[in-house]
Amino acid sequence: MSNKGKGEGGMDQMFEIWEKGQDAFFKSQTEAMEIFNKSFEKMPDFSSQMKMNETFPSWESFIKTWVPDWDSNIFSGKSENLADQFTKSGNAFLALLEPANWTKYAPEQLRIILQSIADGPKFADLATPQHEAAETWRETLDYTQAASDMGKVMQDAWVRTYGRFNENYSIEDLKAPDSEAAMNAWLSAANHELLETQRSGEYMDAQRRMIRSSTEIKARQKDLAEAWSEMYQMPTRTEMDDLIKTVHELRRELRKVKRELASLKGH
Amino acid sequence: MMPIQRDKDGQPIDDLELAQKAWMLTWQKMLEAGERMVKSNGFLGKVKNEDIAIAETPADVVFEIDKVRLLRYKPLAKVRADIPPMIICYGLFGRQTMIDLQEDRSMVRNLLMEGIDLYVVDWGNPTRADQFLNFDDYVELYLGSCVEHVCKVNGNKPVNIFGICEGGTFATMLAAFRPELFAGLALAITPIDFHGDQENFWRGEGFLNSWIGNLSKDDVNLVIDTHGMLPGEMTGAIFSSLTPITSMTKYNIGLARMEGNEPMMLNFLRMEKWIADRPDHPGEAARQWLNDLYRENLLVKGEFELCGKKLDLAEIACPVLNIYAEQDHIIPVSCSKALAKFVPSKNYEEIGFPGGHVGVFVSRKAQGVVAGGLVDWLQKEQKNKKPKKQTRKKA
Repeated sequence: MSNKGKGEGGMDQMFEIWEKGQDAFFKSQTEAMEIFNKSFEKMPDFSSQMKMNETFPSWESFIKTWVPDWDSNIFSGKSENLADQFTKSGNAFLALLEPANWTKYAPEQLRIILQSIADGPKFADLATPQHEAAETWRETLDYTQAASDMGKVMQDAWVRTYGRFNENYSIEDLKAPDSEAAMNAWLSAANHELLETQRSGEYMDAQRRMIRSSTEIKARQKDLAEAWSEMYQMPTRTEMDDLIKTVHELRRELRKVKRELASLKGH
Repeated sequence: MMPIQRDKDGQPIDDLELAQKAWMLTWQKMLEAGERMVKSNGFLGKVKNEDIAIAETPADVVFEIDKVRLLRYKPLAKVRADIPPMIICYGLFGRQTMIDLQEDRSMVRNLLMEGIDLYVVDWGNPTRADQFLNFDDYVELYLGSCVEHVCKVNGNKPVNIFGICEGGTFATMLAAFRPELFAGLALAITPIDFHGDQENFWRGEGFLNSWIGNLSKDDVNLVIDTHGMLPGEMTGAIFSSLTPITSMTKYNIGLARMEGNEPMMLNFLRMEKWIADRPDHPGEAARQWLNDLYRENLLVKGEFELCGKKLDLAEIACPVLNIYAEQDHIIPVSCSKALAKFVPSKNYEEIGFPGGHVGVFVSRKAQGVVAGGLVDWLQKEQKNKKPKKQTRKKA
């Protein structure tokens, strides 16, 4: 299956990604052991059989795929400042755990794969949770992307506000007795830029994607809550809604009949 | 690239000096603002939520249907005016308490002081159990039943209705659907043409129209189907984002600027109390509001259906007073004024209030312009209805 089209065989590609990821992870563990070994020479040499020249570049390449700012030197003792090393390594590890830091580097490719899994044929007794997980992941990616796009639109608006204000005001102006005027000018510049931004197509499209993606996540939460309700023999939201709708329609029918009766009596 | 900062003589300021000056200035201004904020915080520390009273004009519940209640205000004038009773109909996006926010800024009290027999519709607190209520229910059943009740009390004679915002659209629809019920239709900040004159919107006008217009029918349906209702928190956030700087600064710069001034702070807190009390909008009615009206603009096209009948605004038979706000950031002026196209000019009057959407009711100026204008119109219309005295021709 070497000539698969984009989005085809998504499950295969997913497994491939996981396989490579796992491989790289295990290699990285080996590398970490080697580094610790160097630091604590008396410890047994677990990694003596590993081919370090091959594993380290692979590990580094894998990490840099997800966190381009990663500095591998912090583990190899090349950095001179110890406190700085700790801070950098801590931040880099935390960055690995933050989806916003890595989803943005390959969202479209990943999104296509996830969508192809979600849209693919479903088996009666196999891989249903995987389909749902893929769909959930795709929705999370969409929301992350939408939030990031909206953040960029708003950030640009604030940069323009600063530029507009900076064109007309200097520190000397701000030192004038009437600093209230400067404050008002800042608010006026911000108001102008934000209102202009909010009427732009760019903003409205970002807003639409935010509404859509956040609502999809809400809908997914509802599905999870329903599964939980069913598990514990409790009525689900859908069942309650069905009941409410039935009552609503019955009341409507009843009112209609009552009116017709009143009308007949009137005659 | 950052422009180079210069001093008064046009000489460039080096970065270090600039940063020092900026820090000094920032500290100085923070201290000044802090002093003002302390005064406002001092007041906030003393006042309790129960001290912030709104909608205190006494009224009795005279009619109920499901969660909807019709209240009749107790008279404040010694003499009742010779004017048919008036029913105030607010929308579902906020509470009717807006019209009676405080004693000296109360549309309700102003009308009662003129001797008008006044009713108000309270839609209650819709929950998910009400998600399937639509315009048929709210306009024909609920509002229609309330109006029928008042007509009955009024000796089976038509009455006046004063519709506000979405409540104005409800009132307009009912006036077109059952024109025999109404002696007069007064509206305030009411959307009729939901697209309006978009080419000529001023900056900040018509965001709702543009934003909702940018959504697809599926987007709207997804929101309604997922939540069941249109959540009050969501509509509140959208309303806040219509005026971004005001929303961002009201709890910091805004409060500091009040410097603990008690009347100003109390006005502010009353308004906050009203804003915080934002109900969920029933889902099916919200779907129609957003898809059929905001997106498709079916009302002015004559294609909006109420109880299976297409509404024709030209069916409105009573005199109409249309009050709009010239700086309304929620309902553009052109969206309100569009009603003039459907009502004969002899039956149609307008008042343009020089203020914003909420200012129509809560500003000091509005008490004279809006309430006074409404009373004048009611009195004039009543006078016009009275049979003129016959003058004998000279022999």
